[in-house]
Amino acid sequence: METSDLSQHISRRFNEDLERVRSQVLTMGGFVEQQLAKAVSALVEGDSLLGETVARDDFQVNKMEVSIDEECSRILATRAPAASDLRLIVAIIKAITDLERMGDECEKIGYIASRLALEERPADKYREVKHLGRVVQSMVHDSLDAFARMDPEAALRVARQDRLVDEEYEAIQRQSITFMMEDPRAIRRVIDVMWVVRALERIGDHAKNICEYVVFMVHGKDIRHVRIEDVESELKQRGGKA
Amino acid sequence: MVAIGAVIGGLIGHLWWGICGALAVELTRHLVNLHQFDHWLRNRNRRDPPDAGGLWGDLVSQVSRLHRRKRFHKQRILRLFRELRRSTASMPDGVVALNPLREIVWFNRKAGELLGLRRKTDFGLQISSLVRVPEFARYLEKGDFSAGLRVHPRIGEAFCIEFQAVPYGEGQMFLLVRDVTRQAHLETMRKDFVANASHELRSPLTVIAGYLETLALDEDLPADLRPPLLEMRRQAERMTAIIADLLELSRLEATDEQVVGNPIDIAALLALLRKDAAARDAGRHTIEMRVESPDGLMGDPGLIHSAFSNLLDNAVKYTPAGGAITLRWWVDELGGHFSVTDTGPGISEEHLPRLTERFYRVDAGRARDAGGSGLGLAIVRHVLQRHGGQLKVESVEGRGSTFSCHFPPLRLVHEPVALADDTRYSA
Repeated sequence: METSDLSQHISRRFNEDLERVRSQVLTMGGFVEQQLAKAVSALVEGDSLLGETVARDDFQVNKMEVSIDEECSRILATRAPAASDLRLIVAIIKAITDLERMGDECEKIGYIASRLALEERPADKYREVKHLGRVVQSMVHDSLDAFARMDPEAALRVARQDRLVDEEYEAIQRQSITFMMEDPRAIRRVIDVMWVVRALERIGDHAKNICEYVVFMVHGKDIRHVRIEDVESELKQRGGKA
Repeated sequence: MVAIGAVIGGLIGHLWWGICGALAVELTRHLVNLHQFDHWLRNRNRRDPPDAGGLWGDLVSQVSRLHRRKRFHKQRILRLFRELRRSTASMPDGVVALNPLREIVWFNRKAGELLGLRRKTDFGLQISSLVRVPEFARYLEKGDFSAGLRVHPRIGEAFCIEFQAVPYGEGQMFLLVRDVTRQAHLETMRKDFVANASHELRSPLTVIAGYLETLALDEDLPADLRPPLLEMRRQAERMTAIIADLLELSRLEATDEQVVGNPIDIAALLALLRKDAAARDAGRHTIEMRVESPDGLMGDPGLIHSAFSNLLDNAVKYTPAGGAITLRWWVDELGGHFSVTDTGPGISEEHLPRLTERFYRVDAGRARDAGGSGLGLAIVRHVLQRHGGQLKVESVEGRGSTFSCHFPPLRLVHEPVALADDTRYSA
């Protein structure tokens, strides 16, 4: 859909600009994916060095955000894009903000992981965190895939997973309260773990946002604050009419 | 036909009517033929060619011959293509064809499985949009495809794939993708084994060395036992050195990641190395130092010290008494360079490529007398790799050797205090 639109520009340079900025976003996304994976693995494996590396490398995410932001402003100013191109640029500007926040959450997880690595590990070896981490990782991965392929159906599928993350978050919260009541000495550690879980839940929300931008980009429809089922039925109706 | 019309027209007294009638009949025949021809061309795959005589018949047979030939070639190409697709689909390795813009032109089934690519939707997308591992983007950007690239797409899992780019034509390339999980696992096991074995050997050896030392100090020891005891102590020390080197090597090998490190004052480091070497050497060699640049180096101070001192130790060991050793540090547009030049016996050319292999000996007897572990140059090579540098060896037999370390310009620190910024991701 969009890719075929992209190839119809009279100005080849414009095309190249759009393609480049889009692939920069995905490069940034790839880096954030790696940061997330490293951060979770640092916590689960108790690797303080890896946690520090993640916290230290966050500046690269920030740097990429600034550079993509500048590029987008330049395109807006010099090319004055319209219709689907404009939507692409708007979606990119929003998406990099979400990616940057994901990076910040990863930094937080990395920092906490390097601190927790020095303490005694709980009996469950962070099994719940590991599982939640895996779900969030696959959400981020799939949302970026949907962004690359401009695939709104896949994006909606990912957005629906966010509910799963929220449920998981609730469950871990309840479990943590039990831990704290059982053993008050563990309160500090459990609070730290809660921060990590909270960060993971936030990352899931940001991934969902990216999915919403994909739908916006392709259909030109803003689906924020709307129930996913409603969006799906409406898009289906549109498809029927077309 | 027109002539027949004219004759008939003449016979009935209306010459022009006859001619007109004949022309009308002729025209109708042509129109009918034309219509049939058109109809057949439209449905030429299902219908037989129309049966028309004369010029139309020639035309029909020409066209149908062309058509038959085209269909024959098309089928042959299609068959070939299907065959090709079937054979690439059964290949054990993944293949992705990329155009000069690094967009996916085609990929086989295995590549789709390994990289999570989908048919239909993914053609024309940039490969780095879907394979988002940062190392992979860097690999494609760097443009040096002499070696492959190994990545763990999912951190914390054993799954490991290897990419090998094969450029062809005008900027196009094939990307070979292999699942190397098993090999990677075996290599990790081997490295772990070496590290663990060395570690386990260290404690008993410490005990043996300790007792040997105590025994040597014992004054009641019979005089004829003294020489063997001394030899035992020497060999125990050598074993300790080998194990220490093995442990250092396995630590170095544990990761391929580039060292970020801190600024190192090279002039001060060389002065320290020279002092240490001179103290151990007790004046048998002259050691000269030429620092031609005040620039420092970004790196791990411990690792760089170990690499440089390994090179200097080698020079001291293999250069006969009275020889000269020169340490040199200089900077040019290619980066920073450190070299150790000696006036030793030199190394013949056939040994040079294998010099950095573990336990490789140019001359089996000589090295052991000097007490080397056989791992020094392997350590140097690994330290340099982790700093983006290279080791080069030049040697002339009978005249001496030069071992030089080359570091890229990014590693240089012009003001020793300022930290070099990581510019990899700046636009």
